Amino acid sequence: MPALDIAELGRQLLYDPKNPLLFNHGFFVFFFTIFMVLYYYFRNNFAVRRYIFCFFSLYFFYKASGFFVVFVIIAAIVDYLVSNAIFRAKSKQGKLLLLIVSIFFNLGLLFYFKYTNFFIACSNEFLGTNFNLLNILLPVGISFYTFENLSYTIDIYRGQFEPARKFSDYLLFLSFFPKLVMGPIVRAHDFVPQINKPYIVSDKDFAKGFYLILSGLFKKLVLSDYLTLNYVDYIFDDPARYTGLENLFAIYGYAAVIYCDFSGYSDVALGIARWLGFSIPVNFLSPYQSKSITEFWRRWHISLSSWLKDYLYIPLGGNRKGTVTTWIFTLAFFAGVFMACLKLFNLSVTVIISLLLLLLFLLPAFISKQVKAISAGFNLLTTMLLGGFWHGASWSFIIWGILHGIALAVHKSWMLLTGKALAGISNSRWYNAITIIITFHFVCLCWVFFKAADVAAAITMIKQVLYDFTPDAWPGFFANYRSVLAILLLAALLHAIPDSFADRVIDKFHRAPLLAYISLFFLFVLLYGFFKSSEQVLPIYLKF
Amino acid sequence: MNSNRRIVVFVLSTCILYLLFSLIFSLFPAKWPSLQRINLLSDIVLQDTLKVQSSAGTETGQAVVPDTLIAEPAKQPLKNLSLYTLPHIVTSFSADTAQPALQQFLQKLAALKNGDQKQIRIGYFGDSMIEGDLLTQTFRRLFQDYFGGSGAGFVPISCPTSKIRQTVTDNYSGGWQEVNFKSKGKKDKLFLSGYLFTGENEWVEMRDRTVKESPAPVEMYLYYGHADGSMQVLVNGVPLTVPEQPNFGKLLLKRNKEPYVKLVSSDARLPLYGISFETPSGVIVDNFSFRGISGVEFGAIDTAFLNAVAQENNFDLIIFQYGVNVLFRPNDTNFNWYARMLKPVVQKMKRCFPTSDMLIVSTADRAFRYGDTYKSAIGIDSLVHTQAVLAYETGCCFYNQFATMGGHNSIVDWANATPALANKDYVHPNHRGAELLAGHFFNAIMRDYNKYIHYNRN
Repeated sequence: MPALDIAELGRQLLYDPKNPLLFNHGFFVFFFTIFMVLYYYFRNNFAVRRYIFCFFSLYFFYKASGFFVVFVIIAAIVDYLVSNAIFRAKSKQGKLLLLIVSIFFNLGLLFYFKYTNFFIACSNEFLGTNFNLLNILLPVGISFYTFENLSYTIDIYRGQFEPARKFSDYLLFLSFFPKLVMGPIVRAHDFVPQINKPYIVSDKDFAKGFYLILSGLFKKLVLSDYLTLNYVDYIFDDPARYTGLENLFAIYGYAAVIYCDFSGYSDVALGIARWLGFSIPVNFLSPYQSKSITEFWRRWHISLSSWLKDYLYIPLGGNRKGTVTTWIFTLAFFAGVFMACLKLFNLSVTVIISLLLLLLFLLPAFISKQVKAISAGFNLLTTMLLGGFWHGASWSFIIWGILHGIALAVHKSWMLLTGKALAGISNSRWYNAITIIITFHFVCLCWVFFKAADVAAAITMIKQVLYDFTPDAWPGFFANYRSVLAILLLAALLHAIPDSFADRVIDKFHRAPLLAYISLFFLFVLLYGFFKSSEQVLPIYLKF
Repeated sequence: MNSNRRIVVFVLSTCILYLLFSLIFSLFPAKWPSLQRINLLSDIVLQDTLKVQSSAGTETGQAVVPDTLIAEPAKQPLKNLSLYTLPHIVTSFSADTAQPALQQFLQKLAALKNGDQKQIRIGYFGDSMIEGDLLTQTFRRLFQDYFGGSGAGFVPISCPTSKIRQTVTDNYSGGWQEVNFKSKGKKDKLFLSGYLFTGENEWVEMRDRTVKESPAPVEMYLYYGHADGSMQVLVNGVPLTVPEQPNFGKLLLKRNKEPYVKLVSSDARLPLYGISFETPSGVIVDNFSFRGISGVEFGAIDTAFLNAVAQENNFDLIIFQYGVNVLFRPNDTNFNWYARMLKPVVQKMKRCFPTSDMLIVSTADRAFRYGDTYKSAIGIDSLVHTQAVLAYETGCCFYNQFATMGGHNSIVDWANATPALANKDYVHPNHRGAELLAGHFFNAIMRDYNKYIHYNRN
C-alpha cells in the first residue's frame, strides 16, 4: 500500500539542483494552482496582490536556480535606487554618471558570471598566460533580466519613462515568473503600467491563453524533447560518426528543436501572462517562413532583436553614422577574419576573402551613393556580433552572430541591386518559395555553429554533409528513424499554419464549455506521458 | 464579460482532477506503468511495488547467469571465475593471483625489454568502440614508448572513419570495389579487418603520422590475397611484382624513413586488404575495428586463410573487445545466444593462432533511457558475466573494462562530465575517454608484466 513520504514532501519545497523547476514539473501544477487562487482572491487589493505575485515569482526563481535569486533582488534594489536618482538628478552630467554606474553594475555582473572564463581561455590561448579557469555557475535568466534592467535605466535617462513608484512594482517587473528563465525580454514601459490595473480577462483572452500555453507545452515537451533525445543530441555530439544524410537531418532537427523550445517557452509565458491580465508582445512569428534574413530577424526572438535595435544599433549610430565603438569592432572583425582565413588558406586567398568582405560592406554606399550606408552596415555587423556573444561565451556564438551580420549586409546589397529589376516577380509564389528555402538553409547553416560543441565540430558537421552525402543510405535511415521523421514533419506542418488560422479557430470556439478545455488538457497530458515513456530511438550505422 | 473566474475554476478543477487521477495511479501502479511518468504524486508517495526494474536483479549486482555455463567452473578447483569482477587486472582466472596471466606474451615482452631485436605484434579486434584508432592509438603509443617500436600497424585501404583517424591520414580514388562483413557476397577471404578491396587503376596514399624522428626506417607492407598468377602494382610510381600466394601474402613495399606510400592497383583480380607501417623490432599494434559487429563474424573466414595469416603475420597477443552491439535493446538480460554463437569463433581463432595469447575484454558500460533518466543497461552485468564465462571456458584471459571504467552508470557520468569523456549516445567514450581507457588497460597489462618479472626472479 503506498504511503506519503513526509520528508520528501518537505524536500520538494526546496531547490533541487538536479531538478530545477520548469513549467513541465508536477510541482508547477500545485504552485500555479495555489498562486491562481490567491491572486484571484486578492484581485481587488492591488498591494497584497502585488506582494503575492512578487513572492511567488521569487520563489519560482529560487526553485529554478537556488540562491541565485539573491542576485535578482540585489539587481532590483540597485536599479530601483539608481533609476530614481537618475530621474531626480538635475544636471545632464549627473544623470549620465548615474547611468554609467548602472551600466557598469549590470554588465559587470553579467560579464563576471558569463564571460570571465571565456576571456581567461582567450588570454591563455593568445597571450600565453596560464590562468586557471574559475568555477563559476551562470545564474539562470541573468542574460534576460540584465537587458531588462538596462533598458529600464536607459529609458529613464532618455526621459522616455517615469520610474516605477513602488519598489514592489519594479521587483515584479523584473521577476515576473512566466518570463524569468527564458524571456521574452519585457520592457518596463509596457509592463509596469499593467501591474496595478483591475484583473480583467475576456473570454477570448482565456481561450487564447489556453491555446498559447497548450501549444507552447506541446512544442517544448513533445516535439522539441523528442527530437533532442532521440536524434539531434547524439548526432551533434559526434558528427564524424554519421553520414552526411544523418547530419543534414540533425541540422533540420535542431532548427525545429530550437524554435519549438524557445518559442514554446515564450508562448507559455505569454499565455500565463494573458490569464493574469497582462499583455506581453509576441516573441516569434513563424520565423522559418521568412523570405529574407532581414525578415527573419523581424520574426525570430522579436523582443531581443528590438532590444538590440533600440539599445545597441541606434546608440552605435544606426543608419546615420559610425561611432568609435563601430570602428573598433569593425577593425576587430576584419583582423579576426584575416587571422582565421590565414589559418585555413594561404595568404592570397586570405587577402581576396578580406577584400571581398570589405567590398560587400562598401557596396551599398556605391549603389546608393550615400557614405553613411557604410557605417550602417558596420553598425549592423557590430550589433549582430555582440548579439551572438550575448547568447553564449564562445567563438561559436560570435561566428553565428557574424554570419547573420554578413548575411544582413548581403541582403541589403541584393535589394539595392535587384530591387527594381525583380519587382515584377518578387511577389510571385515560386520566387517566394525559393527565397524561403534559401533563407531557411542559411539559418540552418548558422545553427550548426550555434549548437555544435565547438567550431571544429561545426566544421566537421558541414564537411560530412558536403562530402559524405550518400543518398543510398536513405532506406536504412528511413527505416530506423521513421518516428523522428514523423515528428519533424509534424513540426514543419505546425510551423506552416498561418497565425491567423489559430485566431480564427479561437474566435469560433472560445465559448466552448469548461469541460471541453479540461478534456483537451488531459488529452495533452496523456500524449505527453506517451511520448515520455516511448521507447528510445537509437542510432544505427548507415555506412554499409 | 470578465472571465477571470473561469480561469480560476479551470485551474482549480484541473488540479483537483489531476490529483485524483494521480492518486488512482499510485494505488494501482502495476496497472498503468507508463502513466507513472505523468503522476503528480510519484515523488512523494512511497511505492513498495515500484521496483519494476530491480526485478532483473541488476540492482543487487547479481547477474542473470546462463545456467549451462556456470556449472563447469566448479570442476576446476585451481581456477576462480569470480576474479572477473575485479577492475584494473588481466586475469587468467588462476586462483593463485600472484601468477601472471599472459605468460607467453609477457615472456616475449621481457625478452624485448632485455635487448632482443624482435617484433611483438598485438592484434586489437573491436567494434565502433575502437574505430578511428581511438583507444588503440594511445595503447600503441604507451607500448612503443616503453618497449620500443614504431608505426601504426595495419591500415585497411579505406574505412568509414578513415577521415577522422589521426594516426594515419589517407586519400584514395573512388572506384575501389569493396566486400566487407556487412555487404553481400562471400566472406571467407575477408581479412581480419573485415574488408577486401579490388580495383583496376585505383589508388590509395597513406601517411603514418605516429612515426616521429626514428633512427630506424619504417617498413611498409602490402597485405593481399590469392590471385591466379603474379600481378603488378605501382608503389610511389615504381612497378612492383606481387607474387602469387595460395591464400594470403604480405609483401614489403618500401623501407623508408618517410612513412608515406602511394599504391596503384593495376589489376582488378588482385584482392587487396591494406598496408602496414611497422618496424622489425618493437611492439606493433594493429587496429581491426569494424562498427556494428559482435565478433561472431570471424566465423565466416576460411580456416586455411587464417592459418596462412598466422604464418605470414602472426600475433603474439589477440585482444577481442566486443559486446556493446548485442546490447541493443534496453530490456535484454539473457545473452546465452551470444555465448553459443561466439564460443566456436573464439575456439577457431585459438586453433588458427596457436602461439598467440588471447585476451577477451568485456564491453564497456552502455546506458539507455529508463523513464526520465539514463542508466546502465539492465542486462550489462549479465553480458559481462557471459563474456567472462566464455573466456574461462575457452582458456582465454579476461579484462573487465566495464568495472575498470567505473561500473554501473559510469558512461552516464562520463557523458555528463565537463569536459565530457563520452558521447551523448551513452555508448561511445570520446577521444578523451578512449585515452583514459587505453591508459587503464595498458596499466593492467603492465601490472601483469611486473608480476611476470617478479615471479621469474623468485
